[in-house]
Amino acid sequence: MKTIRSRRVRETLGRVARYTLLRGLALAVTVIIAVYLTVVIANMGGKVDDIRRGMIKESIAMMVLANEELRKMPAEERQAVLLEMEQLEVERQGLNRPFIVRSFEYLWTALTLDLGRASYISSDSGSRQVRLILLERLSPTLLLWATAQIMIFFIALFFALILSSRYGSFFDKLVIMLAPTSAAPGWFYGLFLILIFAAVLKLLPFGGLVDAPPPQGFWPYSLSVLKHLVLPVAAQFMSGLFLLIYSWRTFFLIYSSEDYVEMAKAKGLPGGLIERRYVLRPTLPYIITNFMLMLIQVWMGGIILETVFNWPGLGRLLYSAIRLSDTSVIVGSVVLYAYLLAITVFLLDIIYAIVDPRVRIGAEGGKA
Amino acid sequence: MTNRFIGLLMISLLVLSLPAAAATTPRMGAWVDEIVLVEEADSTKGVARIESGEFDVYAYSISNADLARKIRTSPLLDYSVSYGSYNEMSFNPSGPVFSGTGKLNPFAVPAIREAMNILIDRDYICNEISAGMMVPRFFAMNTTFPDSARYADTVRKLEIQYAHNPEKAKQIVTAEMEKLGAKLVNGKWTYNGEPVVIIGIIRVEDERLGIGDYFSNLLESIGFTVDRQYKTSSEASPIWMQSNPADGKWHFYTGGWVTTAIDRDLANNFNYFHTPVGMPVPLWQAYNPDPRFAEVADRLERNDFKTLEERAALFKEALELQMKDSVRVWLTDRIAVWPRAKDIKIASDMASGYSGTRLWSLTLRREGQVGGKVTIGQPSMLTEPWNPIAGTNWIYDMMPIRALAAAGVVADPYTGLNHAWRIERAEITVQEGLPVGKTLDWVDLKFAKEIVVPGDAWVDWDAKAQRFITAAEKYPQGLKAVTKMVVYYPKDFLKTVKWHDGSSFSLADMVLSLILSFDRGNPDSPIYDEAAVPALKTFVAHFKGCRIVSKDPVIIEYYDDAWYQDAEYIGATLYPNYAQGEGAWHNLAVGIKADAAGELAFSQGKADKLKVEWMSFIAGPSLSILSKYLDQSASELYIPYAPTLSQFITPEEAKARYANLKSWYQSKKHFWVGTGPFYLESVHPVEKIVVLKRFEQYPDPADRWASFGEPRMAVADVAAPSVLRRNRPAQFTISVKEETNGNPYPVNDIDFVKYMVFDSKDNMVASGEAKAVKDGVWEVALTAEDTAKIPMGSGRLEIVAVPIPVCIPAKDSVQFVMLP
Repeated sequence: MKTIRSRRVRETLGRVARYTLLRGLALAVTVIIAVYLTVVIANMGGKVDDIRRGMIKESIAMMVLANEELRKMPAEERQAVLLEMEQLEVERQGLNRPFIVRSFEYLWTALTLDLGRASYISSDSGSRQVRLILLERLSPTLLLWATAQIMIFFIALFFALILSSRYGSFFDKLVIMLAPTSAAPGWFYGLFLILIFAAVLKLLPFGGLVDAPPPQGFWPYSLSVLKHLVLPVAAQFMSGLFLLIYSWRTFFLIYSSEDYVEMAKAKGLPGGLIERRYVLRPTLPYIITNFMLMLIQVWMGGIILETVFNWPGLGRLLYSAIRLSDTSVIVGSVVLYAYLLAITVFLLDIIYAIVDPRVRIGAEGGKA
Repeated sequence: MTNRFIGLLMISLLVLSLPAAAATTPRMGAWVDEIVLVEEADSTKGVARIESGEFDVYAYSISNADLARKIRTSPLLDYSVSYGSYNEMSFNPSGPVFSGTGKLNPFAVPAIREAMNILIDRDYICNEISAGMMVPRFFAMNTTFPDSARYADTVRKLEIQYAHNPEKAKQIVTAEMEKLGAKLVNGKWTYNGEPVVIIGIIRVEDERLGIGDYFSNLLESIGFTVDRQYKTSSEASPIWMQSNPADGKWHFYTGGWVTTAIDRDLANNFNYFHTPVGMPVPLWQAYNPDPRFAEVADRLERNDFKTLEERAALFKEALELQMKDSVRVWLTDRIAVWPRAKDIKIASDMASGYSGTRLWSLTLRREGQVGGKVTIGQPSMLTEPWNPIAGTNWIYDMMPIRALAAAGVVADPYTGLNHAWRIERAEITVQEGLPVGKTLDWVDLKFAKEIVVPGDAWVDWDAKAQRFITAAEKYPQGLKAVTKMVVYYPKDFLKTVKWHDGSSFSLADMVLSLILSFDRGNPDSPIYDEAAVPALKTFVAHFKGCRIVSKDPVIIEYYDDAWYQDAEYIGATLYPNYAQGEGAWHNLAVGIKADAAGELAFSQGKADKLKVEWMSFIAGPSLSILSKYLDQSASELYIPYAPTLSQFITPEEAKARYANLKSWYQSKKHFWVGTGPFYLESVHPVEKIVVLKRFEQYPDPADRWASFGEPRMAVADVAAPSVLRRNRPAQFTISVKEETNGNPYPVNDIDFVKYMVFDSKDNMVASGEAKAVKDGVWEVALTAEDTAKIPMGSGRLEIVAVPIPVCIPAKDSVQFVMLP
C-alpha cells in the first residue's frame, strides 16, 4: 500500500516536474521569439539604420549653421571634418556593423536582462544604461497606475458583487447607464479635469509629479505627490470604473444563477456566505487572472494620460523611444513585459491548481 | 552733558541713516532671488499655467497661430518675438532624366526652378497657411538679420522682380518642358507617353504640411501630376538627405532650418546652401551651380574682398545668381512668440528667444519688485547629462546653464554684437586691407601691415609633456597672424570674481580652458577622445597663438587668422566658459581624473565606446565616481596638467579649492560651479525641476544690463507731397521713433536709412541713403535729375531704417503721383 502511495507521489512529482519544465521551455521559447520579433520590428528589419544615417547627416547639417568656426573653415577642410564627425557618430551608434549581428546582440542583452545602452535617450539623471532609464521611471509609473488600477479593480469587484445580488435596483440601473462613459479614455477626462480643477478653480495642479520646488521632508513631499495624483487617478476612475463594475456584475450574475447557488439560497444560507463560497470562489481563477494581467499592464504605463498630466512615467518614455527609434529602450521595455507576462502565465497555472480543485496539472485527469 | 547729547544725537543719526543707506545700496547680481524651472511639455498648458499664475514665463517658441493670437490678446500675458527658423523648398537637381528610373525631372532645369519663385505666392503662405506667423523670404539670408538691411535695395528690387506671377511661371515652365521633349496632353505633362509625376516629400510635423500641399496644388495647376508623400523627419531624411538624387526617389522636399543666434555675416550661406561644397552628402554633391555663382559664393565664404563695397557688390551678385540657381526656393521666416506674465521683464534673443541669450537671467525681474521667485516652464528639461566640456547641448538645458555662467563677452540679443562682460576692453589689430569695422566702445580697432606672433606665445600643446609649445619652438622662421586681440580684464578682476563654491577665480581657470582646447583631441592625452578631434582641427585651422602679458591685472594677447567684419567678434577672451557651460579648474580636474581612469567620459561618443557613463556633474551614477575622485584629488593635492598649471596653482590653493568643492557637494549634491548670477541650488531629475538661487557674491550691479530688458524697436513713417513734378527737386521727410515710448530715435543709434524709388511698373528708378536732420528725423532729397528718371503716373518711395541697438529694420512706403 505504502509502495503504491510512494509510487503515486513519485509519479505526480515527475508529472509536475515534466509539466513545469515543458511549460517553462515553451514560455522561454515564446519570450525569445517575441523579443527577437520586437528587435526586428523596432528596427523595421534594419530600415531604421537608413533613418538613423539620414538623421545623423541632417543633425550635422544643422550643427554647421550654428557653428561659426566650422562655417569659417575652408570648404574642403570643412567637408573632411564633417565626414569625420559623421563617421564617428555612425560608429557610436554601431551602424558600421551589419544589422543582423546587432540584432542578436540586442536579443542577448535583453534576455540576460543586461538591457544594454540607449542610443539617444538618457535617464533623467543622465545615465545611458537602459536598466537605469527604466528603473527611474518605474516608481512614478507604479505609483500612478498601480494606485489607480488596484483601486479601480477592487472597488469595481466590491460593487459588482453587491449589484449582482441587487439586480434591477436603482444603483444597478445607474451603473448600466454610466457604463458607456468608458468609451472615452482617461486622458479625455483628464483634459476636462485639468480645465475645471486647475485652470478655472485653481484647486489642483495642472500636472507633474510634485510641486516646484519640491517640498523638503518626507511628509510634505508625499502630500504634494498625493495632490498631484488626484486628477490623473480621477481621470482613470471616470474612464474605467463603471464599465468594469458592469462587466463584473454581469459576470457574477451568470454565476449567481447557477443551480448550486439557487440550492444554497433554498437552503437558507446567509447572503454573504453564498457570495463568498458559491459565487466568488468558482470565479476566483478568472478574477486572479484579470488581477495579474492588470498588474503587469501597469508596467507599460499610458502614453497619452502621462503626457496630458506631464507625469514622468514609462509610457512617455516608451513613446520617446519609439519616436527616436531607440531600439535598446524599446526592447528593454518589451522584454521586461514579456518576462513578467511569461512568469505570470506560469504562476497562474499553479495558482489555478491551488484555488480550483477541478484543475489538474499534467497528463492525468482532465483540465479545467 | 553736552558731549552726551552730541553722542546720542550722532548715534540717532547713524541709526536713522542706516535704512536710507541700505535703500541706496545698489542691488548686486540678479534682480530675482530664485528661479524655478519646471518641465511642461504641452505649450497650451504652458500658456494656461502663466494665466493661472503658476508660471511666470514659458520658455518656448510658439508658432501655432491660434495660441499666438491668444498670447497676443490676453490681458494677463506679454511676449517676445523671435525669427530663428525658416522654410524653403528643396529641389532634386539631378537629370533632366533620372538615371535610376528613366523618368523626367523638370527641376534639373534651372529656369524651371527659378520659375517656382514666381509660381509660389509667399504672401499666401504667410497670411493663409501660417495665419500671420511667417514673413516672406526670398534669399539664403534671414530677413531680420543685418545683411538683409545692408542690401535692402537689391533685396527689394529682386523681391519685386520675383513677385507672384503664376501666368509667367506657367509660360516659362511650358517653354522649358517642351525643350525637354515633354508634351501637354489633356492638360497634363507627359514624357515618353507617361505622365510626368513629381514626387513631393512633405513634412507633416508643422506648417510645412500646408506648404507642401499648396505647392503640390500649384504644380498640378500647371499640368504636373504630383505624388504627395507625407513624411516625418525620420522618414524623410533617408530619402532627401541620403538617397542618391539620380535614383529619382523625390523631386521636392519641404525643408526647414533653424538659426540659434543672430548671424551678422551670412556671406557663406550661398556656398553652404547652394553649392556642392556646403555638405558632403549626396544631395549637395548633385548641385551644379553656374560657375560665376560658384565663384562668387566661394569668394564670399572665404572673405575674399578688400572693402565692404567689394563685399556688397559680390553679395548683390550672389543674391541675383541665387535666384537663377534656385536649387532651394526660399519661402518664409517663421515668427515665434515667447510668452510671459504681464509683469515680467526678460531679455529675448531675436533668433532664439529667452533660451538663447545669456542675458535672460540677468534681466529677469518682476516689474517694480526686487527679489522674489520666478517660475519658468520649459517643454523639456534635463534631457542629457550636464558637463561643461561635452555635455548636453539641448536648448532647454542650456537655458539654466547660461544662468549659472559668466563670460568674457556676451552677445547682444537684439543685434548679435558682442559686448564686454567680464573683460574691460580690448585692443584689436587687423591686417591692413581687410574691411573690418567696430561699433562698440570696448573695442579699440587698429590696422597693421603685418602681425607677428611673438616667440613666447603659446601656439600648440605637447600632450605628453603637458606643456605648451611656443611660437619660437614650432615656427623658428617666425609666424604671422591676421588678427591680434589684447584683452584687458579689470584690475580687481581676480579679487571680485568668485566661483559658486566660494573659491577665488584664478588665472589657472583660464589657462586650463586653452589646454583643453588642444588636449582632448590629441592621441597622447590621457583623456584623448576621438570625438574631440574634429573640434581640434576646426580650432587649429584659425588659432595662431596666445600669450599672458600680465598675470595681475590680467592681460592676454590672442592671435588668430579668423576675422569678421565686426571687430567685436575677433579673438577670444580665455574666460573658462566651455562649449556646454562654465568650469573651474578644480571641478574639471575631478572630471579629468574620472575620464582618464576610464570610469566616466566627458563626451557621449567616448562614453558609448568605453561603455561607461556619460559624465554628469549634477545627477546620476556619475556623482559617486566624481566624489571618489574628489577625495583622491584632495588627498593628493592634485593639480591637473601640473607641468603647466603648477605655475598658476599653489598647493594651498588646491587644498582650499578641493575643500570648497567637497563642502559644496555635501551641501548641494552636485559638482556644478560657475561664476554666473545664479548658482544651482537643487536638481530633481525625475520630477524635472531645477532650482537656481541668486549668487550673492556676483560682482556686477543688477542694473548693468537693464537696457536689454526690451528691444528698442524702431517705427518709421515717411511723409511725401502727394504730387511731384518731373525735373524738379522733391523732398521726403522720414520720422523714426522708438516703438515702446514714441521718442525720436537718436541719430547716433541709427546705422543708416535707405530709400528706394519705384515707378508704376515697380522698376527701381532711384535709391540712396537718407540724410539725418535731427534725432528722429531723416530727409530724402531727390534732385531734378532723379525726378527726371521717374515716368509720369504713380510712383512709390520705400524706406528702410536700420537701428544699431536692434537688428530688425523699420520699413515704410509712400505713394505719389508724378506730373510733368
